Amino acid sequence: MFKNKIIISLCIFTSLFCSCITEDVPGNTPQGNFEALWNIIDSQYCFLDYKNKEYGLDWDAIYREYKEKLTPNMSNKDLFQVLSSMLEELRDGHVNLVARHETSQYREWYDSYPANFMDTIQRIYLGKDYVVSSGLKYKILEDNIAYVYYESFNSAVGESNLDEVLNELAICDGLILDVRNNGGGMLTLSDRWAARFTNEKVLTGYMCHKTGKGHNDFSTPIAVYVEPATDRVRWQKPVVVLTNRRSYSSTNDFVNKMKQFPKVVIVGDKTGGGSGLPFSSELPNGWSVRFSASPMYDPDMKHIEFGIEPDIKVDMTSEDIQKGKDTLIETAREYLRKHKE
Amino acid sequence: MKRVLSVILSLLCLCHLSALAQEDSLKANRYVVRSTLYGVGHTNILDTYLSPMEYSGMELRLLRESMRMTTLMEGNVSYQSMFQANLSLTENKAATGSEVAFLANWNQAWHYQFRLDENLKLMAGPILDLNGGFIYNLRNSNNPVQAKAYINLGASGMAIYRFKIKEYPFILRYQLNIPLVGILFSPEYGQPYYEMSLSHDWGKNICFTSIHNQPSLRQFLTLDFPIRSTVVRVGYIADIQQAKVNQLKSHQWSHAFMVGLVKNFYVFKGKRQVSMPSSISPF
Repeated sequence: MFKNKIIISLCIFTSLFCSCITEDVPGNTPQGNFEALWNIIDSQYCFLDYKNKEYGLDWDAIYREYKEKLTPNMSNKDLFQVLSSMLEELRDGHVNLVARHETSQYREWYDSYPANFMDTIQRIYLGKDYVVSSGLKYKILEDNIAYVYYESFNSAVGESNLDEVLNELAICDGLILDVRNNGGGMLTLSDRWAARFTNEKVLTGYMCHKTGKGHNDFSTPIAVYVEPATDRVRWQKPVVVLTNRRSYSSTNDFVNKMKQFPKVVIVGDKTGGGSGLPFSSELPNGWSVRFSASPMYDPDMKHIEFGIEPDIKVDMTSEDIQKGKDTLIETAREYLRKHKE
Repeated sequence: MKRVLSVILSLLCLCHLSALAQEDSLKANRYVVRSTLYGVGHTNILDTYLSPMEYSGMELRLLRESMRMTTLMEGNVSYQSMFQANLSLTENKAATGSEVAFLANWNQAWHYQFRLDENLKLMAGPILDLNGGFIYNLRNSNNPVQAKAYINLGASGMAIYRFKIKEYPFILRYQLNIPLVGILFSPEYGQPYYEMSLSHDWGKNICFTSIHNQPSLRQFLTLDFPIRSTVVRVGYIADIQQAKVNQLKSHQWSHAFMVGLVKNFYVFKGKRQVSMPSSISPF
């Protein structure tokens, strides 16, 4: 009898603890994949409210509009077109839909603006005797100005690399740090670079994240500081950071940090933006979606999602291009010559 | 002379045996049953921090277990230490994404033994459950990994039944471990690990758990049988780990078939160990 009681109790106890934790996801149909994508953005995308204020983005209206474009038997390619068009409404370069046959990409943030960078002209400045090191190209120009081109924050530059490069360029009167066409990469590299240009801890912005599915469910923003790289080579002379519209994502973050330092000037075009740290998710049909999940702000708690204005706004002129001159580099050189210490 | 020597030797042997018998009765807690099992199985993973989709695939599992009697409650309490590690390679239903999961788990349980008859023991007691691991999604951007770290206090029950089929001895064991209260690490709903690295306030990342938000269990069914001088153990493990915290849902449902060897030891002082017959066992 006692044995039976124990066995029955064990069975009841076990069944009590077998309640499954699962996630309800729509089926793998055009309608189901549409619903899944719309829900992911609705619950996790971090700029819905901000973009509603900026340009009237209405995610509920978009649901109604794009749902009309679905048909039960539409092909994968047609579905991809509908879904990627819906995502383009977010006007966000960090939003991509990735299928086996295609990756969607919002390109207006740079396609509609001057390029402000030509590698054929950059080659004239670099000549044949420039140095390449860990994703950097650098050279000392004839007026004793250092020119460093960093084309991707995915190119891992180590602390020792930075020591070597900055030591070698220490004899120069100023530094041009060119991050044009740098589409971003690792935020930790942005921190590593910025730490070489300040001697004190500087507030450079704020960051927060979503705490729930509501459009306004955000955590209390945390302050983001750049602390000087102690026991490392730090640049003490004037710096010009060159930017264009394709300075995006981590580069946007880097420009925001550099903008807070007194000896740094931003020259060129407004950056492309991209201040939402992207997360990934996926649809029932296996397509991957990337989207901005965690917003970053400047020190005044203003969004930098749509870019950072330069201190000196310059576009490349057609006259300079014909002469093989880079208007932005020339402006930077002139600034540094005038502000020589 | 030979007679005298044989008498002396017999006496010495008797003295030695009586001393051993005395030590056995006094040091029951020095008898240890250890087993190492290797297994393969199937797992189903959900972690909404990484994806709303479930991933499933193959799992490899290691289980090391030791049991011994203690001197607690007049020698009726046994101590069980169980270490498990499982590595899973999974993919989503559409076969477009992959996840790798690893979990190490260490349980320490103290069971009061109810000896219902010669062949059946029921055991129950508290369990301390420590877990650490990760799930890595191979194609995600800033949410590529979910760290797993949680500690629980729970309840453990076990039934051990000895039986024979045509004089061939078997030991059947069923065990159920259930976490009741604990703490669990989890990022917030959309919190990137990069932000966590900048913040010193991890208050919301340490969550209180109990059966309402962590309905989990581990079940073991094993069968021991001797083959010559070796004891073989085969088993089945159902490892159901689930949690729902910070508006994030996760589960890992694993089912694995295990096989390995059991060894019975008597541990001398100084860590020397000798193999003991399986008939003397805290198991």
